[in-house]
Amino acid sequence: MRSLRALLLRLGGVFRKTQYDADLSSELESHLRMHIEENLRAGMSLEEARRQALIKLGGVEQTKEMVRERRGLPILEIVLRDLRFGARMLAKSAGFTLIAVFTLALGIGATTAIFSVVYGVLLRPLPYPKPDQIFQLWEVNAKGNRVNFTEPNFSDMRSTSRSLEGLAECDAGPFTITGGSEPTRTLAAEVSRDFFKVMGVSPLFGRGFNAEDQREGAAPVLLVSHSYWQQYLGGSKDFSKLKLAADHKVFSVVGVMPQGFRLPDNADFWVPREIYPPNNESRTAHNWHVFGRVRDGVTLAQARAEFTTIAHRLKQQYGQDIDMTDAAAERLQDAMTGQVRSALVLLLGAVSFLLLVACANVANLLLAQAARRERELAIRAALGADRRRLVWQFLMEAALLCGMGGMIGVFAAHWGVDALVGLAPKELPRLDSVSLNLPVLLFALGLCILLAAGLGILTAVRATSGDVREALAEGVKQQAGGLREQRIGRTIVAGQLAITLVLLVGAGLLGRSLMRVLSVDPGFRTEHVVTMDLSFASLGDKDAEKTLQVKKLNDLFARLRAIPGVEAVGGANALPLASDFMANGTFLVLNPGQIPTRMEDFERLMHDPSITGYADYCVASEDYFRVLAIPLLRGRLFEDRDVMDAPHVAVINNALARTRWPNEDPLGKTIEFGNMDGDLRLLTIVGVVGDARNSSLETLPSPTVYVNYRQRPQSTDRFAVVIRTALPPSSVVSASREIVREIDPDVPARFGTFAQVFSSSLSARQFNLTLLVAFAATALLLAVAGIYGVMAYTVARRTREIGVRMALGAAASDVLRLILGQGLWTTVIGMAIGVAGSFALSRTMHSLLFEVSAADPITLVWSALLLATVSLLACWIPARRAMRVDPMVALRYE
Amino acid sequence: MGDKKDVWQGTLALMVLKTLQALGPLHGYGIARRIEQTSGDLLAVNYGTLYPALLKLEQEGYISSEWGTSDTNRKAKYYKLTRAGRKQLEKEAREWEQTTEILARFLAPGKESA
Repeated sequence: MRSLRALLLRLGGVFRKTQYDADLSSELESHLRMHIEENLRAGMSLEEARRQALIKLGGVEQTKEMVRERRGLPILEIVLRDLRFGARMLAKSAGFTLIAVFTLALGIGATTAIFSVVYGVLLRPLPYPKPDQIFQLWEVNAKGNRVNFTEPNFSDMRSTSRSLEGLAECDAGPFTITGGSEPTRTLAAEVSRDFFKVMGVSPLFGRGFNAEDQREGAAPVLLVSHSYWQQYLGGSKDFSKLKLAADHKVFSVVGVMPQGFRLPDNADFWVPREIYPPNNESRTAHNWHVFGRVRDGVTLAQARAEFTTIAHRLKQQYGQDIDMTDAAAERLQDAMTGQVRSALVLLLGAVSFLLLVACANVANLLLAQAARRERELAIRAALGADRRRLVWQFLMEAALLCGMGGMIGVFAAHWGVDALVGLAPKELPRLDSVSLNLPVLLFALGLCILLAAGLGILTAVRATSGDVREALAEGVKQQAGGLREQRIGRTIVAGQLAITLVLLVGAGLLGRSLMRVLSVDPGFRTEHVVTMDLSFASLGDKDAEKTLQVKKLNDLFARLRAIPGVEAVGGANALPLASDFMANGTFLVLNPGQIPTRMEDFERLMHDPSITGYADYCVASEDYFRVLAIPLLRGRLFEDRDVMDAPHVAVINNALARTRWPNEDPLGKTIEFGNMDGDLRLLTIVGVVGDARNSSLETLPSPTVYVNYRQRPQSTDRFAVVIRTALPPSSVVSASREIVREIDPDVPARFGTFAQVFSSSLSARQFNLTLLVAFAATALLLAVAGIYGVMAYTVARRTREIGVRMALGAAASDVLRLILGQGLWTTVIGMAIGVAGSFALSRTMHSLLFEVSAADPITLVWSALLLATVSLLACWIPARRAMRVDPMVALRYE
Repeated sequence: MGDKKDVWQGTLALMVLKTLQALGPLHGYGIARRIEQTSGDLLAVNYGTLYPALLKLEQEGYISSEWGTSDTNRKAKYYKLTRAGRKQLEKEAREWEQTTEILARFLAPGKESA
């Protein structure tokens, strides 16, 4: 306490110097006067009395100095003095200061903004208690792929494992809420009983699920997300009145989850899994996401080992009836962000390269500045300033620059973060947790300190290492003295060019990848297609329901077609490139009469590779192909005569025809695909259509079976209608919406254009590319400014030497060659390092590239050419100035 | 060097506090004279070293100062003990006594076995 008080007073002492000094002076004066009087009384002469008093005191100035040291904080005073001095120096060369501060602000701002995204998405802990205990669990199949869990496997895992605090399965799907003024479609998650315990989250208002809610046939209840509650339920806490009609049931809302809780898949509703009948039979129906929490004291690695053991045991027990060969568990945070990690790490790497390039420019500016102050430093050193003080002085100046740059940078990052969040692709998880928060600000502060220390020490060491006498004599041999910092400057520039080349190559590779993606033939066309997503109530197996659904769709197509300007209308239960594409599974190639009647026989047939095949399954109308311009290669499409009672038909794509029937004609073959829709009737293949890249532009078309909506409407509760029209999309939207309302008032419709679907599937790639190109372009500008600055400085320092050379007969072209040669040499060295660096680093981008090799020579050559051209242009200007040096003027120089 | 100085500073502080307790409010010169008289030539150092010590004590709140007039009608800065200073003096005096007592016992010849 006492020492704290003293410290504060001393801190105060730093700032109230004059007053304290005057006080001390009069105190010492009075001390001396009293002492002199006493000495006089003892019989001394005035002269002697005064002398003795001063000796006894130990000198007025010495005493003052001792007191002053105690009064203020000497270190702080030195720092403040240096800061003041530094600020004066910086203010004196305002141009230099401005450029340096803004260069630093650019680097620090960009780095901070990107770091805030990286921190928010990858590093910031999930907002749940002990988040590192939560994990996601997958089955691993024979191919080594992670797949969703099957219910019986989940149950076995949950009951066998001893590492668990809880394990929960969940599955999110669309829910159509009816009864309001307008039907709405919302994502609902069925969650098993331990789900909220695993996440460690409980409702903000109302209650969670209890055992009574979690049994088959219980009164349906649900929890709603905070945002849904506010937007659609008016934030009412009177839960007794909150009922929602959906899925043929009336759900009571029993609670509201805390703001921001949307797991899994951005769900708005949570429904107890247990109210639906369990599915205990199939160990090959992979429908469930599984999340768990390990017990206290158990590590995820230990749990993982146990899961693997259990998976192996289950595989042994069930043999061919189970796909699971292993289990994979990953920390939830990693599981959520795994797909974007490499891109974000790449961006962070790229932006730190940009920062390095920016710092290199500032370093060069500082070095040039220090060289200009050589005489001042030499004089100070000659007058007795020790080296430590001079180094300290440089550190303070660098700290001032970085401090100002950092402040502007953080301010800029504030806008930058908003822009980044706006620009970021929808798929980027956890965007809501991205902000300029305390850890990010600490990062920026650390960055500033690091830069200040680095830049300060570099200049200080460089500027104070010379011999004082030599420096004082520098005026005599001006031209020779600058040689060393010119060499350092060129080294820094070579480094800058190298880094810039790496960035250019990175941007080039991403750009070429995007071009490759865009040049892929997706197999369908995207222009002039309006899409309409519909969500019907889920269908049962009953014939009456199926007939009704077919009638609805028939009506829908017919009436939409009648809208003026509409050219064609088709539909399917899944659209290409929409994120969740169609179901897939194993089908059987059977002849009529071979269809087994018992389940066991099916299982047996499924294991016979000669009669099985694997394909995506899509329910479509014939005009679906016409609207999207997917060509019919052979046979026919669906027709009106293919009604429910007629023989069921299928159209397959070329990929399936090629792979399943390489040497045969698939037309006329009959297949059984009952595990997709429960209908065991055989499908006769009547046509082959072209391949479409359904799941993404970057993956090859997968084998697909298309069935007819008139015959297999079971899975058309989610249905996407595609409308081809040359008119602007808005002109058909309202008419279409009205038609849907008339056909089924409980069906919500969502409109878009296929072009939107197409471009949003590229948004992640474009985001990465945009940022990388911006970084590379900025780095290029900075590097060019850097090499220009260094060359211009060289020419300025060597003006006298050039004058002498010309006076002795050197031609202008010799001078040009001299200067340009130096620039060229720097460029070549920088590029050589850059090429090596690109080879080493572009490998890490591998996962972000598409059909472009990480060592793509075209990208490398073009990037290098661009950099070399721009850099030589930057050298050309000072070189020309050197060429025009007038020997007479130059020799009088200085 | 530093250690010795610290010991000196600590001792000096104690002496200043004791002086102020014994004599009441006093100026720097008076304190210096008094310490010199009491300690004889043992602590014949510069009076100047007293002033940082006074400042330190004041910063720590053990003494306070104000300008006044001396008996010879001179303006002088007078220091006086604060309440915290009185307590501190008691505490330090006690500690000092203990230390000297222990050291005395320790250094007394021929009594180890007793």
